[in-house]
Amino acid sequence: MAKDIASMRNIGISAHIDSGKTTLTERILFFCNRIHAIHEVRGKDGVGATMDSMELEKERGITIASAATNVQWGNIDINIIDTPGHVDFTIEVERALRVLDGAILVLCSVAGVQSQSITVDRQLKRYNVPRVAFINKCDRTGANPYRVADQLREKLNLNSVMMQVPIGLEEKHIGVVDLITMKAIYFDADDDHGVRYDVIPSELESEVAEKRETMLDALSMFNEELMELIMEEQDIPEDLIHAAVRKGTLDLELCPVFVGSAYKNKGVQPLLDAVESYLPCPTDIENKALDLDNEEAEVILESVNDKAPVALAFKLEDGQYGQLTYIRVYQGLVKKGSELYNIRSKKKFKVGRLVRMHSNNMEDITEAGSGDIVALFGIDCASGDTFVQNGLNLSMTSMFVPEPVISLSIEPKDKSSSDKMAKALNRFTKEDPTFRTYVDEESNQTIVQGMGELHLEVYIERMKREYDAEVMTGAPQVAYREAISQKVDFNYTHKKQTGGSGQYARIAGFMEPNEESDYEFVSKIKGGAIPTEYIPSCDKGFQAALGKGSLVGHPIVGIKMTINDGQYHAVDSSDQAFQTAGRAAFREAYLKAKPIILEPIMRVSVEGPTEFQGNIFGSINQRRGIIIGSTDEGNNCTVEADVPLSEMFGYSTVLRSSTQGKAEFTMEFQKYSKVPTSISEELIKEFEEKNKKK
Amino acid sequence: MVKAELTKKSPLRILEKATDGGLGKGNIAVIASKRGIGKTACLVHIATDKLMRDKHVIHVSYSSRTDHIINWYEDIFKEISLKRDLEDAMDVHDELIKNRVIMNFNQDGVTMDQVLNSVKAMIENGQKSTDAIVIDGYDFTKDCDVNIKKVKQFAKDLSLEIWFTDSYEGEVVSEGDIPQNLKCCEEDLSIVMILKNEGTAMNLHLVKDHGKTVTEDLSLILDSKTLLIARK
Repeated sequence: MAKDIASMRNIGISAHIDSGKTTLTERILFFCNRIHAIHEVRGKDGVGATMDSMELEKERGITIASAATNVQWGNIDINIIDTPGHVDFTIEVERALRVLDGAILVLCSVAGVQSQSITVDRQLKRYNVPRVAFINKCDRTGANPYRVADQLREKLNLNSVMMQVPIGLEEKHIGVVDLITMKAIYFDADDDHGVRYDVIPSELESEVAEKRETMLDALSMFNEELMELIMEEQDIPEDLIHAAVRKGTLDLELCPVFVGSAYKNKGVQPLLDAVESYLPCPTDIENKALDLDNEEAEVILESVNDKAPVALAFKLEDGQYGQLTYIRVYQGLVKKGSELYNIRSKKKFKVGRLVRMHSNNMEDITEAGSGDIVALFGIDCASGDTFVQNGLNLSMTSMFVPEPVISLSIEPKDKSSSDKMAKALNRFTKEDPTFRTYVDEESNQTIVQGMGELHLEVYIERMKREYDAEVMTGAPQVAYREAISQKVDFNYTHKKQTGGSGQYARIAGFMEPNEESDYEFVSKIKGGAIPTEYIPSCDKGFQAALGKGSLVGHPIVGIKMTINDGQYHAVDSSDQAFQTAGRAAFREAYLKAKPIILEPIMRVSVEGPTEFQGNIFGSINQRRGIIIGSTDEGNNCTVEADVPLSEMFGYSTVLRSSTQGKAEFTMEFQKYSKVPTSISEELIKEFEEKNKKK
Repeated sequence: MVKAELTKKSPLRILEKATDGGLGKGNIAVIASKRGIGKTACLVHIATDKLMRDKHVIHVSYSSRTDHIINWYEDIFKEISLKRDLEDAMDVHDELIKNRVIMNFNQDGVTMDQVLNSVKAMIENGQKSTDAIVIDGYDFTKDCDVNIKKVKQFAKDLSLEIWFTDSYEGEVVSEGDIPQNLKCCEEDLSIVMILKNEGTAMNLHLVKDHGKTVTEDLSLILDSKTLLIARK
């Protein structure tokens, strides 16, 4: 049976690394009575948290892939997407956000808003995802949820409002006070940490009254009736408060804040109640698709079951029974046995097994309703594909996919690994659009590309574990680009007369830098100087030359080619001749156009104790980094800097050793910038020597 | 216009001329005004002018986010480069950024010692050739006599120009006088300027100049549209 849409919640849990996100997910599963034992992420019992299904995640204590899990909380059906916290895997986060309707933003009550929280928040904003905040780890030494709530306001610009007051902090943290019901909540009703309501402890009364007033003040703007009751100082019905919080949250103008400690089983059930009360159901959210028959005009999808089905494949997993495809149904019903059409591959397929996932267990179902997140078996597709009923030509908006910035050559250790490696690569590239692979024509090596060192490392390890493919890796290479810095004219004649039919083509025009796009071709040929049928040949010739620049052999970007004159020969001119001329003309002009090398610059954010800030500044400075700013907060400081990726290899080790392991960093791609002359000369020399050896 | 010409024509040269070559290393200057008049804009303009003359600047602030301050610099730079039709504006911009660091202190009760320690760490490990520090949002009502002494010593030790902003409320500062909250550290201040909203214009008055008597009016205003310091 398809589920009732109003009782459905599709939520994500987003956080900085080590904020306790996986632990929280685990507790949510526990309290929803789906699993019976709680395992820690770095479990002493060796079982590991249920959501981290991959072995590797268990070992590293981080969550890599997002697994979708369905749980029941009262009458509410919650699909949880466990999103990875490390920035190298942001494509996973972004993909998960695409299919979410709401999110829990988890923060550590000690560390507060960290660099990754800012990244995650930016992503939530990009996809307009309403959120509630959960300030976790209130049992830790130095816990200060109020400060974190202030940071939400200051750093993330969220209208954060405390909905609870913690009862005790640090080791004395035993419960919370709900500011709506004005009751203390303890979690000791039974051995399973059940909820027990009690009166508010007397020592907290004044604080609670004050916080409640702040809360009501903030909420009054979302409900007029509420505002009037506050002004008249009358009793305020709970329903009215709930309605105001829900409205503010859905309009993205309010971020209700909850507190607790997932590890100590404090505050999880009230958080689930908040998910039920304040986060949207699928019909609260407007989803759009692109109409491919109508120049990609936006079409609003309706979350109703009696419309033609539209679904998005957002996650692939290789299970023991073949490929598992996670889909989010946006419109209509997806039924077992029915036929769907894949917009990208233009292929029809039959829906075979349809399952609802609980981490590693699954439940067979016959249909999935609008808004639901389920998985299909044995469908050949890539992640990001749109499935529709045959006849519709809609595509879900393409997801933002960043270009890879780092590459690595890999080589199988033996023959048997070779096939396995190919199989693994095929799988990974389908799963993750930021992970790419190709065979370099010159060196005949397999190259993998990705978003950072760790990103590639994880895939190399997965090859070994999941596919038993042992590979050797080369040194990581930065994805440089080449570009020109000035406009030049070209006029090139290609002539060949060596028996048989000759080749003849002349093309003229100019090459100029182009900021708008990577490549643009304009033809201003008049009077048939080049016959129309050969104009695309010139374009092809130019494009063939773009792939490898002559400075360091990296792709050329930001170029506009204009042709305005040329000549042909009735017999000797051909498509081939013009392509060759195009290629040669490009190469000749390129060298005159003062080519430069561009390198990827990363926005690096380092957090650590103030006592080590000198070391942190120094470490960035040694890496050609530009310190953008630093923020001191108590004993901690955050340093933001732009650093070339090529200088960041091995940074984690350096940082660890120079700060006694107390600092951590994250980075993400920022922009491409010109390489300083001294370094570009080195790169060119290196490239030339490499070519000589061949 | 090229960069060198632009800085030569900057209205800030008037200020330097009036003060016999400017603030000078080891000295402290303060721009004071009521809240919301444009002190930060003045400070950022002064810092940008220094950056454009290839000097290195550290911007210290007490606000919550560095990106707000970066936006200030972006806006002021844009106005200057547009107004003077600066050549290769993007290249100049990228060069400036390398010489500028923003340091933010946003916890309550951060002490001047902590700030100076952090700034020192930055200078020693990153920005070795720092020429000037601009400090925005410091509260002069709290122990400023002791603190400014420390800053003065710091400026001398590291050979720095230090610029502050000061905001005063509920006080009419009479002509030629300095605001009440600066009196306690007056002896350590070399230059004090007051930004006053007078009718149609925001005038920038020089009220203290290295112990000399101020005779001339600067004839400088803060343009309310571009938020740049300009000639009257």
